[in-house]
Amino acid sequence: MLRGIELDGNKDISIKRDILDMSEQINTLYVPLVNHTNLNCKCLVNVGDVVEKNSIIGMREDIELPILSPSDGTIKEIGECLYMNGDLVPCVVIEVNKKSKTKKEIEDITKYTKDEFIRLLKDNAVVGMGGSDFPTYIKYKASNIETLIVNAVECEPYITSDLMLVKLKAKEILDAISATMIINKIKKCFIAVKSNNTIVIDSFNEHLLSYSNIEIKTVKNMYPMGWERHTVSAVLNKKYDRFPSEIGVVVSNVSTMYAIYKALKYNSSISKRLITFTGSNIKKPINVLVKIGTNIKDIIDEVGIKKGRELKFVVGGPMMGEALLSENVIATKNMNCIMVLKDEDDLEVLPCMRCGRCDQICPAKLSPVLIKDNVDNSDNLRILDPKKCMECGLCTYICPSNIDLRSYVKKAKKEVK
Amino acid sequence: MKYVIDSGPHIKDDDSTALVMNRLLIALIPIILFSIYKNSFLVLVEGKYSIMQALYPIFILLIASSTSILSEKIFVHILNKKYGYKKYKSYFALFPGLFLALIIPINTPLIIVFLGALIASIIGKMLFGGFGYNVFNPALIGALFILTAYGTLIASNGGYLNPVEIDTIATSTPLSNLSALNYVGTYEKVVNAYGSINSFIFGTIPGTLGEVSKILIVLAFVYLVLFKVIKWRIPVTYILTVFIMTFIIGYNNNLGIWYPIFHILSGGLLFGAVFMATDPVTSPVTDSGQIIYGISLGVLTVITRFLTSYPEGVLTSILTMNMLVFLIDRLGVKVKFNIKKIILPLTLMILLSFGLSLYISNTIKDTGKKNDRVQIINKEQSGSKTIYTLTTKGWGLIEAKVELQKGKVTKIEILNSSTETQWSEIEDNDYINTLINKQSDIENVDTISGTTRTSKALKDMIIAVLEDYGD
Repeated sequence: MLRGIELDGNKDISIKRDILDMSEQINTLYVPLVNHTNLNCKCLVNVGDVVEKNSIIGMREDIELPILSPSDGTIKEIGECLYMNGDLVPCVVIEVNKKSKTKKEIEDITKYTKDEFIRLLKDNAVVGMGGSDFPTYIKYKASNIETLIVNAVECEPYITSDLMLVKLKAKEILDAISATMIINKIKKCFIAVKSNNTIVIDSFNEHLLSYSNIEIKTVKNMYPMGWERHTVSAVLNKKYDRFPSEIGVVVSNVSTMYAIYKALKYNSSISKRLITFTGSNIKKPINVLVKIGTNIKDIIDEVGIKKGRELKFVVGGPMMGEALLSENVIATKNMNCIMVLKDEDDLEVLPCMRCGRCDQICPAKLSPVLIKDNVDNSDNLRILDPKKCMECGLCTYICPSNIDLRSYVKKAKKEVK
Repeated sequence: MKYVIDSGPHIKDDDSTALVMNRLLIALIPIILFSIYKNSFLVLVEGKYSIMQALYPIFILLIASSTSILSEKIFVHILNKKYGYKKYKSYFALFPGLFLALIIPINTPLIIVFLGALIASIIGKMLFGGFGYNVFNPALIGALFILTAYGTLIASNGGYLNPVEIDTIATSTPLSNLSALNYVGTYEKVVNAYGSINSFIFGTIPGTLGEVSKILIVLAFVYLVLFKVIKWRIPVTYILTVFIMTFIIGYNNNLGIWYPIFHILSGGLLFGAVFMATDPVTSPVTDSGQIIYGISLGVLTVITRFLTSYPEGVLTSILTMNMLVFLIDRLGVKVKFNIKKIILPLTLMILLSFGLSLYISNTIKDTGKKNDRVQIINKEQSGSKTIYTLTTKGWGLIEAKVELQKGKVTKIEILNSSTETQWSEIEDNDYINTLINKQSDIENVDTISGTTRTSKALKDMIIAVLEDYGD
């Protein structure tokens, strides 16, 4: 039994409108020099340099993953910007200066060797767009991949960026899946979709007949079904220790598959993405297409904010998203949602009554209450294994005494390191 | 635009601890109303009891509850005066006293009720740090104090029976009755003495304010589980364990399925399992921990009921297991990561409960069916005399002739006692004549230390003869 809970999705509010394309309206881009957990990549350009789209402007040195310019332009400044986790990180500021260019298309995107495929993913800086920012090429280096799971679960409430992308680009995504399977000799692909997400299911089904060995697998409408372990378990009924590659599985987010399509078809990195603007205090909840490096502050007026006291500005979904003080946060490949919502009245924190709900709900089978009790006792923590936590937030969500258990578990994680 | 920040998540389940505790109170209301109906209203309509007697249960409820509320508020107030304002808070202060009132004998003097509630709230709860920090169930701490310190006083005050019951039933609670019967008795003696099995289900039997109406407790259980107030695994495994163990015990003593049902429906088991063992603060948080906890409670309760002179066992079992909750949860955590870790403890628990059931079956066979040792070989009438020829089992087989006249033993003639090792002791003590002289109070004739077995065999022989003659 996978542990989790059915949450109120609230997805309807942001899919009523067609997407808003803001990708060409913004003239200044701030490209953070970050990748995954590495928040300080090397800058390879100087102020005044003229760059083209896909020019290398930075490098994550340990694995030599390039950071590419999302647009043609001139380097205006090397500075700092606000990253979605709330940190200030180094960034390259680019003044957009668009040249007209014809895109070079590749007819048959299956004609790559596995090595070329991995090279292409690395050179075009394809990263996990579901939120992790993890370099995708590393996952495909495994030699024994038998099954590809495309994660279109999008289990967090409110977020609809994957849904809208599939609605618009189902064919391209299926092409990318099919090519990836041929190149990597993958026998079977499952697209994991929530059973109630009919838009995604229908969009894929429209084209699915012309692809073999790709199957839609509906999973329970449950948070956090999109957690890699849960997805693999729900689709294949298999468990693994640390990485899905142990059991011959690769899991990629559906938007990452679209980035792979761009890499295969145009030898280009992804330079735009959809971000859901939603929440109780967004006037016009909508998915917006933005250039990577766009300052959200430049977009926010387009969607409008209902003024109010005690508002929260959240990057990411309502469960795992980070509340920030400022709107000046930069759109990156792994940013899928911006929420503006009312802050709940400060809920009184009561002593824990040990009802055990956090223990029952934890998808990683942890006991948040016991971790909280032992947060300063690293010997006991080792048994409680807080490192398994992926910070889904359900323990804090469910706690009737309003205890922020996730923060305790995060602290415990540092304690056992 | 200015924003506030917090650590998230940014949505929240709308259930709260206060709502959970409210639901607990709601579940108790029908039970409280029934206890007032049974112990106040029905006493009042009888007509021959004073208003004070009829209102007594209500006084118990009020005094216990208000003592808990007030003592907790005062305690918190004093601490806050000492250590700074609003550092301490009082939460759900009503419950220790209210639960206490529901589980103590209904003739507890009010001053002792007050004392018990004070102990429950202050020692059971506040000294541990207040709501959420207590290791033991506060109400049970209070009840333990009352029953150990003032048990005899309460018993002399009427114990568990309300005024009507004292006048009509005259014995004691069903469990004390069973205990007096040496745990084995016929359906008539065990159940029908209190009406019928329906009396047990609907609660018209003697018992504390909270525990008697089993049907209301079961309804409360369903409500509490549906509304996520209690950990259902604990009462289910607890009751099931007691059921299986008493079933085995009953089966081995040729008692029907009514015997385990009687055990479930008697005393504080059901109330304790649903309301006290599931007290969230003092019970395990892990699933498997709750199962181990429930089974352990069942085993301990059966041990207490059958192997100690204490007829109840729920209170002490829960308090004992409260101490072990942290260990049980440690196991529970390991089981979550590796389900196999439960196999060994669970197997041990199951073997233990089966072994114990068999052991208890045999011990109560010995005490309860003592006259199995006695075999009547012949019974003849000669004039006004009835002469029994029988054997009884001491170290060896004793053969004897017993003469009765008008229902009285007049003569005991030992035909053969050659296998007995300590026969001289019997003769030195003139035990045979003692038995004849004290036959009207035969149960209280002491056996002879040094030759207990033989003297008991002789005593049992007389009991058997008298019983047989009576029939």
